[in-house]
Amino acid sequence: MTRPDRREATQIRALHCALGQLSRVDGSAQFSLGDTSVLCGVYGPVDVKIYDEKLDRAHIEVKFRPDIGVPTTKDKWTESAVRQTFEQLILGQLHPRTLVQINIQVRQADGAVDAAAINAATMALVDAAIPLHSIVGAATCAVLESGAVVVDPTQEEVEQARSIHTLAFENKTTGSPAYVDSRGDFTMDEYNRCYDLCATSVERVLAFMRSAIESKVSKESKLSTT
Amino acid sequence: MSQGDVANTGQVVFAIEAFKRIHPVEFQRRFLSQETRHNGRGFSQFRATHVTKGTISTAQGSSTVRIGNTTVVCGIKAEVSEPDVKAPNEGYLVTNVDLSPMCSAHFRPGAPGETAQVSSEHLHRLFKGNVVDPESLCIEAGQAVWVLSADIVFVKYDGNVLDAAVIALTAALEDLQLPKAVFDSETGVVSADRTMGQGLTLRKRLFPATFSLIDGVYLVADADDAEEQLATATVLVVLDDNGHLVNIWKRGAGNISRETISRCVDDAGVRKATLTKELQDNTQKS
Repeated sequence: MTRPDRREATQIRALHCALGQLSRVDGSAQFSLGDTSVLCGVYGPVDVKIYDEKLDRAHIEVKFRPDIGVPTTKDKWTESAVRQTFEQLILGQLHPRTLVQINIQVRQADGAVDAAAINAATMALVDAAIPLHSIVGAATCAVLESGAVVVDPTQEEVEQARSIHTLAFENKTTGSPAYVDSRGDFTMDEYNRCYDLCATSVERVLAFMRSAIESKVSKESKLSTT
Repeated sequence: MSQGDVANTGQVVFAIEAFKRIHPVEFQRRFLSQETRHNGRGFSQFRATHVTKGTISTAQGSSTVRIGNTTVVCGIKAEVSEPDVKAPNEGYLVTNVDLSPMCSAHFRPGAPGETAQVSSEHLHRLFKGNVVDPESLCIEAGQAVWVLSADIVFVKYDGNVLDAAVIALTAALEDLQLPKAVFDSETGVVSADRTMGQGLTLRKRLFPATFSLIDGVYLVADADDAEEQLATATVLVVLDDNGHLVNIWKRGAGNISRETISRCVDDAGVRKATLTKELQDNTQKS
């Protein structure tokens, strides 16, 4: 089977990540999976509206903007999914009565946007030095009409897919997913195959994230010594 | 016993209602640690569910669903509209979940809150294409299609929005009678004969089951409002008639292992059997 961009079924697209590109936010990251590119800016901890104030932890807010047009309920759905993933991951107890705002802007959408958004948000949170339990990475798999499972599908493949699976895992060996969204028409067997494929792909994504963080930190420490 | 009475032992004794309000987590924990729930159900036990179809005579399709103390009414209104230029053969399904302050104090008046918007969107993702074939809503390609506006209104809210909404919409779609519509190409007018209704062929029916993780350890089926408030993670499993999976949606970062999710899928299969029975022959005699 050949994929439109001649990748292997288990091969994710080229990863790219740039930290701290935005100057007015506390932390930012651009994360790309091939032609899918997401920019994320994080403010935090900052002042919170009294209405949202939590006495024992920080309030987490996610704003998601699509590449084209104004935000709709579709984007509200993604906001909610991303927020619920990070709510437990951010050590909000360390900053009670504050707000952590995660702004996500899709720059280019070519499939697996949700996964790219989660990855970008993780990197931006790290860049903003918001304390986290663990970093989290996400990957998407698609089961095509033929029954073949492909990882990191492009938009073209998403449209032909029978089911789409987006899973996120923490950088720990607990082995349980932080987020699962499997939709379409699938069997438990297909789900398990996608689960395994996403898990191994996320490992690669997390390794990439760690190296991106390492190079950022080493660059900064060089700057501070000179 | 009044609140805060000091018993002979010197301990402060609360009335149970006060305890529940002041220490909700500890209150639930006392039950959950004994393998039971505050509502008397077992961990994998769902609430009794009642489905009645055709409850609103003015709608083309309707249903009322009760899951314990959660009551939801779904009405589908069919209207004629022009199709999208990009998809001239496809009709529309518009889902709208309404969680008004009438059904629970959690919801505020005004624009739909996050729960309502996310549920509406999730229903749309589940039903469009999967259940309703958009092409079956076509009256005349490029000229006229049906728009199904499904309003899902919660009357009483006691947890589990999505299960209730999915069951209600499935039942209302089964109840749907579309008027026989004819497109007149000379005048460009669609005339519909309301006396000649015909049902919509659904690709499949959906059977949902929601599980909530409380206190990071206890996984309970069909959480009520009090339990839902303390849940850190939820898993929604949706099955179709053939037992195929349609959706697994796990949110929140509680630890739900792979094995637990597959157990949820098995429990959802049991739930499906009960719901199948409930969905049959429940049309209100008018």
